[in-house]
Amino acid sequence: MAHETHHGEAGEHSEQTHIEMPAPTFWPMVFAFGVALLLAGIVTHWAVSATGFVIAVCAAFGWWHDVIPHERHEEQPIEPALRPEPILVETRSVVRLQLGEGGHRRRIPEKIHPYSAGFWGGLAGGTAMAGLACLYGLIAEHSIWYPINLLAAMVIPDLGQASIEQLRAFNGLAFVAAFIGHGVISVLVGVVYAVMLPMFPKYAPFWAGILMPLFWSGLVATTLDIVNPAMNARISWPWFVACQLGFGLVGGFVIARSTSISTMQAWSLAERAFLEAPPRDEK
Amino acid sequence: MALAQTYKGDALTLEQGWHMPDRGTVGIAFLIVTESALFTIFVVAYLVYIGKSLNGPMPKDVLDLPIVATICLLSSSITVVFAEHALKKGHLGAFKLWWIATIALGLEFLTATGIEWHKLIYKDHLTIRTNLFGTTYYSLVGLHASHVIVGMVFLLLVMGVTFAGFPIQTQFRRVRFLSWYWHFVDAVWVVVFTVVYVVGR
Amino acid sequence: MASIDYPLERPRPKEGEFSFSETLYRWVATVDHKRLGLMYIVTALLFLVIAGLMASVMRLQLAFPNNHVVGPETFNRLFTMHGTTMVFLVGMPFVAGLSNYLVPLMIGARDMAFPRLNAFGYWIFLFGGLLLYFSYIGGGGLSGHGSAPDVGWFAYAPLTSKAFSRGASTDFWILGILVAGIGSVASALNVIVTTICMRCPGMTLTRMPMFVWVMLIDSWLIIIALPPLTAAQVMLLIDRFLGGNFFNTQAGGSAVLWQHFFWIFGHPEVYILIFPAFAILSEVIPIFSRKPLFGRAAMVGAVVAIGFISLGVWAHHMFAVGMTSWSNTFFAASSMLVGIPTGIKIFNWTATMYGGKLRLDTPMLFCCAFLLQFLVAGLTGIMLAVSPFDWQLHDSYFVVGHFHFTLIGGLVFGLFAGMYYWFPKATGKLLCEKLGRWNFWLFVIGFETTFIPMHFLGILGMPRRIYTYAPDRGWDFWNLVSSLGVIAQAAAIALFIWNVIDSIRSGEKAGDDPWDGWTLEWATSSPPPEYNFEKLPVVRSSRPLWDLKHPHDPDWKFEQ
Ligand SMILES: [Cu+2]
Repeated sequence: MAHETHHGEAGEHSEQTHIEMPAPTFWPMVFAFGVALLLAGIVTHWAVSATGFVIAVCAAFGWWHDVIPHERHEEQPIEPALRPEPILVETRSVVRLQLGEGGHRRRIPEKIHPYSAGFWGGLAGGTAMAGLACLYGLIAEHSIWYPINLLAAMVIPDLGQASIEQLRAFNGLAFVAAFIGHGVISVLVGVVYAVMLPMFPKYAPFWAGILMPLFWSGLVATTLDIVNPAMNARISWPWFVACQLGFGLVGGFVIARSTSISTMQAWSLAERAFLEAPPRDEK
Repeated sequence: MALAQTYKGDALTLEQGWHMPDRGTVGIAFLIVTESALFTIFVVAYLVYIGKSLNGPMPKDVLDLPIVATICLLSSSITVVFAEHALKKGHLGAFKLWWIATIALGLEFLTATGIEWHKLIYKDHLTIRTNLFGTTYYSLVGLHASHVIVGMVFLLLVMGVTFAGFPIQTQFRRVRFLSWYWHFVDAVWVVVFTVVYVVGR
Repeated sequence: MASIDYPLERPRPKEGEFSFSETLYRWVATVDHKRLGLMYIVTALLFLVIAGLMASVMRLQLAFPNNHVVGPETFNRLFTMHGTTMVFLVGMPFVAGLSNYLVPLMIGARDMAFPRLNAFGYWIFLFGGLLLYFSYIGGGGLSGHGSAPDVGWFAYAPLTSKAFSRGASTDFWILGILVAGIGSVASALNVIVTTICMRCPGMTLTRMPMFVWVMLIDSWLIIIALPPLTAAQVMLLIDRFLGGNFFNTQAGGSAVLWQHFFWIFGHPEVYILIFPAFAILSEVIPIFSRKPLFGRAAMVGAVVAIGFISLGVWAHHMFAVGMTSWSNTFFAASSMLVGIPTGIKIFNWTATMYGGKLRLDTPMLFCCAFLLQFLVAGLTGIMLAVSPFDWQLHDSYFVVGHFHFTLIGGLVFGLFAGMYYWFPKATGKLLCEKLGRWNFWLFVIGFETTFIPMHFLGILGMPRRIYTYAPDRGWDFWNLVSSLGVIAQAAAIALFIWNVIDSIRSGEKAGDDPWDGWTLEWATSSPPPEYNFEKLPVVRSSRPLWDLKHPHDPDWKFEQ
């Protein structure tokens, strides 16, 4: 193997003959001794403390003279015999792996939707879902308040015992509860969609618009008995699934329309943490 | 290309000079961090033991708000800044004046503490062994006062060498570190005051 | 590297040319970080031998049931002094010594930021240690009770009150540790400022060697965690000398408060102690695997995470005192959380070795043993973090086994790796590799034989700190096995000391860069001159020496 030698920067010679180094001094040791005695006196005898105090004060003045007005230095001669050995240069080169190259996988997603897209998507999906639910109310029970009251039964237990007439009639409290509950859940689900959409392998609209609503419906079907028995007793599952699909398709469409932003995965951790780092080139 | 960029960026930094933070500044900053950790434990002990004393005297019976002392200590933080500025501009006379004012205000604070302790011990019969309040009060206030005393020793040293004709303006950096320490002692007093005289009563 | 075309043998000025008093002066008055670092490490090794002898006596006492090598009072003093010495006079000076010696060399500086403060730190640590040991002479106090401290290394209240701890031994414990603690804080402060302010041109935080990163966070933990201990000790002094009531339950004070204050220090302290081993592994494993450290950024992140999370887990030492179930849950959860960054580190060291060109020299052997033993220690740690499990095994030999796996199997093995690795830098001589292998295998065998049985003993119900036991408990066999392991461990330590002495006298010349290293300390001569570097180096990547050795494909072309 071929080698050449050179002196690296670390071993470079300088023009100077001396280097300034801090001068040796006893005072820190004496000061430490004084402080130790001062404290040791607590458990032995006050005279020990007194001695320690005197020693510490003397040492403090000695130390003071070491650093004021200027820190004392001594000129350390540069010893040519102490120069490091020359560095051996290895001519063999090394292959480096690159992100995304031969079997090295990139982390997905490379781009993500902004949270705001999830917010608006959730609102749009929620509106579509509410529209479908009201349509169901009109067709099945001739009242748009019917599904709203049923939803509110989750937080207003009285509605669970209500008659069908009461459920058809407008109820202010139920409307507010259902409105807030539906809005909040819609926005949260929308944000979850926005985060998850880029992670699906392919055909994101299919996953988000069809499969996720079906999963969600299944989840609700198994738990509705516990969270909202009143609704469970009266629910029409085909319509419920249709509402979910409405949310998924509309919400997913709105989210997919947003401009995605790239993740910082190509950045180094130092850049992500805003630690000092050499400037990057902006492409 | 990213590679060339890295190298260019580096050459840039090195050409502009390689600047590291001042070691004194960083040193004082971390000294303050470690001192704060020390004070925190004493403050926590005080807070934990509020109202846990089995016998009197209780804080509400014997403690008066130390308004004058507090004003003195806090304003000494201002005078020390003025002194620092005067020294930076090279006005030695003004520096001496503000410096003496700082020392006087600090002394006034210590005297007030001394008077308060004298009253507590001899009039109210509250000592460090009387009850939990006495133990925690004297420890916390005493720890702070000992820091004031240390600061005072350094303030006096600076004054002494200045009047002896030592060119103190050459030591501007060190004077500024001392003033930071003094600010820290003041800030601790704000905490001690709040805990002992406001929350604790 | 095959051909070496320069003379290894170069004339060097010798220490021996100085007279004895001159040599003494050069060591006692020194402010050189390398000398102080070596002084720290030699002192730590001395205390290690003392504490090891104490442990041997304890194991001898426990080898057989109803044994009477030492009485109960002596036994109490032995475990107190053993624990205190190992933590404060072995672990802490190793932290200070290693960071003192290596941090300036690695960041391309000529000295620490505050060289005189550095000397002060060493001496006050030494005087603190001597004060603690002076208790053997002066601990009787005026009332003539006790000699060395016998209250356990965590000195729980109210055992430490005047009523239960007569004489001055407890005061020596308080003051010795307090004084030594001043030194630890001074040295940690110095390391922080040095790292922040003294880096050579181009040495950005992102290019700083992993060792320096870990030591920086370690020093951060020291300056945050030691003051609580100092504060608690001052309170205890006030109680004992001025009649204060901090931990006096008769006056409404709380003994549990001492436990809180002690462990607010105590838990971060175990991380303070293990961090040097982390730092050493992060340097040694890449060099002996011929691969850069895997996941450097994640390693820095993990160590910073530990630096903060470990400040919030202390009460897992107190599950048995009866805290609220909320506290139990919180501290169990946060303790398990610390397992995550620690797991990241274990994973990354292993991943560094994976696919590497391993060289199994002695430093690397110690690292491999560390990985296995520290993993076991971490797993038993997670078990103990589950509070119901802890209620069963609290204060049992299971706990003793657990923390000896971390501190011996982890810390001491790491330190051995470090000493074998940097010994050539500090002395210019290589440690004998053959003796090193004997040292390693004896130590591994002794270590496992001593400390694995302790886990079984704990599960069989043997409490810690008992000085003897009845023969019918089923503990005899494992205790005997555990004690036998001490022989191999003692032989290993003796072998190491012999190796050091022999290698300094007549060891093989090491040259400046015996391991083909990548960090700056290998770019200067061995031992380095007082000024470390004739000309301050300029750094472009996290492996500056690699860049110099491979000018055709330096790291800075690839690092961001
Ligand atoms: Cu712990």
